[in-house]
Amino acid sequence: MGKIKSITLLIVVAIVMLFTAACGSNEGASGDGKKKDDKDIQVVFIPKMTGNAFFESGNDGAQKMGKKVGFKVKYDGAPEGTVANQVQIINSAVNSGADAIAISSVSSDGLNQALKKAKDAGVKVVTWDSDVDPKYRSVYINQGTPEILGKMLVDMAAEQMDNPNEAKKIGWFYSSPTVPDQNAWVNYANKYIKEKYPKWELVTTQFGDANEQKSLQVGGSILDSYPDIDAIICPDSTALPAMAQAAENKGLKADDVIITGFASPNSMRQFIENGTITNHGLWDVKDQGALAVYVAYWLAKGNELKVGGSIDVPDMGSVKVEPNTIQGYDYTADDSGIIVLPERIVFTKENTKDYNF
Amino acid sequence: MLTKIPKWNLALFVIIIAEIIVFGMLNPRFWNVTILLNSFNDFIAIAIIGFFVTLVVITGGIDISGGSIIGLTSVVTGLLSQVASLNIWVSIICAIFIAGLCGLLNGVLIAYGKVQAMVITLGGMLLYSGIAIVLVGMSGVSTYEGISGFSEGFSQIANGEVMGIPHAVLLFIIMFIIAYILLHRTRYGRYIYLTGINKNTAEYSGIHTKKIIASTYVLSGLSAGIAGVVLTSYLGSARSDYGAEYLMPILTVVVLGGTLITGGKGGVVGTALASIILGFMLIGLQMAGVSTQYIGLATGVLLIVSVAFLGINRDFRSNMKRIVTQKQNIGG
Amino acid sequence: MYRSASLIKQREFRTLLFLILLFVVVGFINSDYLSWQNIDKSLKSSLLFIVLAVGMTFVLLTGNLDISVGGTLGISAAVCGTILRDGGNIFLAVIAALLIGACIGLINGFGVIKLKISSFIMTLAILSITRVVQVIYTDGKWVENIPAHVKELSNLDIFGINLLSFIVIVGVIFVQLYLSKSSKGRYYTAIGDNADGAISLGIPVKRYIAYSFVISGVCASLAGLIFVSQIGFVSTNAGAGIELTVIASCVLGGVSLIGGIGTVVGAALGAIILTSINSALVYMKVPAFWNDTISGSLLIMIVVIDALLAFNASKKAKKVRLNARVLQKEA
Repeated sequence: MGKIKSITLLIVVAIVMLFTAACGSNEGASGDGKKKDDKDIQVVFIPKMTGNAFFESGNDGAQKMGKKVGFKVKYDGAPEGTVANQVQIINSAVNSGADAIAISSVSSDGLNQALKKAKDAGVKVVTWDSDVDPKYRSVYINQGTPEILGKMLVDMAAEQMDNPNEAKKIGWFYSSPTVPDQNAWVNYANKYIKEKYPKWELVTTQFGDANEQKSLQVGGSILDSYPDIDAIICPDSTALPAMAQAAENKGLKADDVIITGFASPNSMRQFIENGTITNHGLWDVKDQGALAVYVAYWLAKGNELKVGGSIDVPDMGSVKVEPNTIQGYDYTADDSGIIVLPERIVFTKENTKDYNF
Repeated sequence: MLTKIPKWNLALFVIIIAEIIVFGMLNPRFWNVTILLNSFNDFIAIAIIGFFVTLVVITGGIDISGGSIIGLTSVVTGLLSQVASLNIWVSIICAIFIAGLCGLLNGVLIAYGKVQAMVITLGGMLLYSGIAIVLVGMSGVSTYEGISGFSEGFSQIANGEVMGIPHAVLLFIIMFIIAYILLHRTRYGRYIYLTGINKNTAEYSGIHTKKIIASTYVLSGLSAGIAGVVLTSYLGSARSDYGAEYLMPILTVVVLGGTLITGGKGGVVGTALASIILGFMLIGLQMAGVSTQYIGLATGVLLIVSVAFLGINRDFRSNMKRIVTQKQNIGG
Repeated sequence: MYRSASLIKQREFRTLLFLILLFVVVGFINSDYLSWQNIDKSLKSSLLFIVLAVGMTFVLLTGNLDISVGGTLGISAAVCGTILRDGGNIFLAVIAALLIGACIGLINGFGVIKLKISSFIMTLAILSITRVVQVIYTDGKWVENIPAHVKELSNLDIFGINLLSFIVIVGVIFVQLYLSKSSKGRYYTAIGDNADGAISLGIPVKRYIAYSFVISGVCASLAGLIFVSQIGFVSTNAGAGIELTVIASCVLGGVSLIGGIGTVVGAALGAIILTSINSALVYMKVPAFWNDTISGSLLIMIVVIDALLAFNASKKAKKVRLNARVLQKEA
């Protein structure tokens, strides 16, 4: 076999990789060691997974903030939202010399080792959407505790009922039994139902694996096998539109069965307008993404975080840093806090047009 | 035997060198040896399973259940040590044993039931990850939070280092040597090749092909078990969904390593090199500023370009002959 | 229908039996499962997989494998969805999608034939490339707000069954007739059965292998169209991991992974079984965290029982053949 062949191969491979690298990156990696300009600060913005409308919207906000203030935001996630993938991405971010990361974690404890290494390497850690152990991050941009969100899910369904105190049959439909945040909301929601609406009966909990086809099919099957179900709550951005589509296929309207949950307004507008559903909720994830990267940038610039103090954010004004205890954590420290923002929104026919994400 | 290095492996080696040069040019931090060695942690599970799936593929089979065996092992380790409060090392052995049983189930059904390996292991994939979820669900631990609280000793399995060399690298080398000796230095390995080249001929010449085939799945299951323990130790908590995304990467390293998907040809050296290639490519492109979701493009192009260039299939017959004669050399 | 087609071997019949058994058993637990409405719906949900399985069967028959179907489905769905969302003509959208499918199929075929890359590696590579291309094309966004009239297409009924289901069933029958009756259709089986033999018979092997990939690509883009119409939004992960289910459906329906054996009817039946399990689990009202365990064991059970049946059948057939030979001699 020829040496020429191997050399040609080497060259071709080199070209391919350079090409991909050139296509994929608008921002080169930052240099190491030396004192940096604020403009060279790089924040790696890590979603749970890519390809999910929710996180893509968060990235929209993050990128806009980066452009506005003038720092680099790299969006980096894998299509499968798993712990190992996130750990790998955190490691690479640290290795490549990023200054801060803003992450929505897929696991409350699986990232600890990686984040510890990141902190040791001087990388600032901000979490958003889903938190990690507070020891390993500086600030958590919190959209609401599981209690708040679980209660919100139940209330959105209850307010559509003529008399929520009667016996009702309800079902849950979301992505999988292993995903942390959705299960946490549902857990609290079930507790809340037991206290507030003891007559409600939970008839089924189903999973769509964040797969559109399966979600549509399972959604249809729920409607068929539980024809007398009163409400189906879907705190998942794939399950909710698929569930609404299944109801629409069956010709059911909001009066026949209540469907609500969390999904972006763009994916649900059609169903609100044609009366398949009455309401659904979410928070302004664009703001959340923007805030997360700004706080990360602010910390990377060398600012000291003080619990109880506040941070001035462009376009958002001053936001307050609360202690970890508001989320029920025991761990408290001066450099570890929570910012509760943005507000949660319930989308209805009246306001859905005002949002675009 | 050590006459010459197969050209495919040489080509893979060339690619690794190319990667190191190119990525180092894009981001000089890539030339930091600590970073490179530590990056083994992120693909060690793929490599370990890949080594032994190579054996399966050489016999003409395929095993796609490895990823979910990782999850099952992780959960079993977690439940036994944290919930049932068994000694951590005992739990690990039990977990790996169960992984072997999963492999045995696959192997027996495939070898003795004469069922297509793809479907059995697909069923196995669903079944094992399902069992993992059910186990967690029934033990009263919440399915989504993961079981944590492992001892420092356990976490050292993956996170420790010996003389500056991370355990992951050592483990990579140890597992590689085991697979290499099994496949290339023993009669058992020769039988694996013969089974893959022509099962009937092998059978006529007195090889228990069924046993050979079944045993490769057991080995593959065991390796997935070890990978599961390592991953649990690395990530510090036990979860049932570990490994779910490794399905395609495992197959990719095996086929990029030069193993024929139809069986009969291949080797673990290629698999080892291919896993390093993919691992370095991921970290290298990430460090060069490419988002992970675009890296599939590079993997795809690399697969096509490298395979097309050296054409694994082009001289399939002569390769076959070479392997057969090579085998005789080993025997003699 | 099945009696008339004497060519359909026992294997497809067994798959049909399993399908009926599945419905009867689940129907025993929850009688709603046997309602016409649910059968219609199960068929409707499996359309996507049936179409993919038909395309896959062509490739499998020639002894190759097509892993890229999920990627093709995703990108054709995204392109078609974007055109429709932006108010484009529906025919334009359909043609664009089909062209994409055919192109991807051609690329696969080119790689396998001209570059001599094994089909597994080639299509695996194309899968990861198409996934990224889709992300770049859609900019990572979902394709949403597809016009209502497109979604209604999937809900039209004809003769009491869903229009799309009707078209797909008729299509499957035609393809089956083509594969088993027409001389050219039999080329695919011949190639997979014995490529060298096929060459000496004068069959343009390479061209037909390329055709098989193009057919699979077009089928995947058809599935993408069904996806858009039925589901109404396209995420960037649309069709992820679908290839394994499709291959499993084919194998379940008696298509051999080595090539040369199998029918599209079998593959379609296999696809219906695999998709119906999903809704069967809801109807059976078991707690959902059991789902994977149950579907995994079901799948294993079906193939193992099937293998046992096949083993017995072949034993019996041997006996019959032996007897026949003995009788012949005696006569």
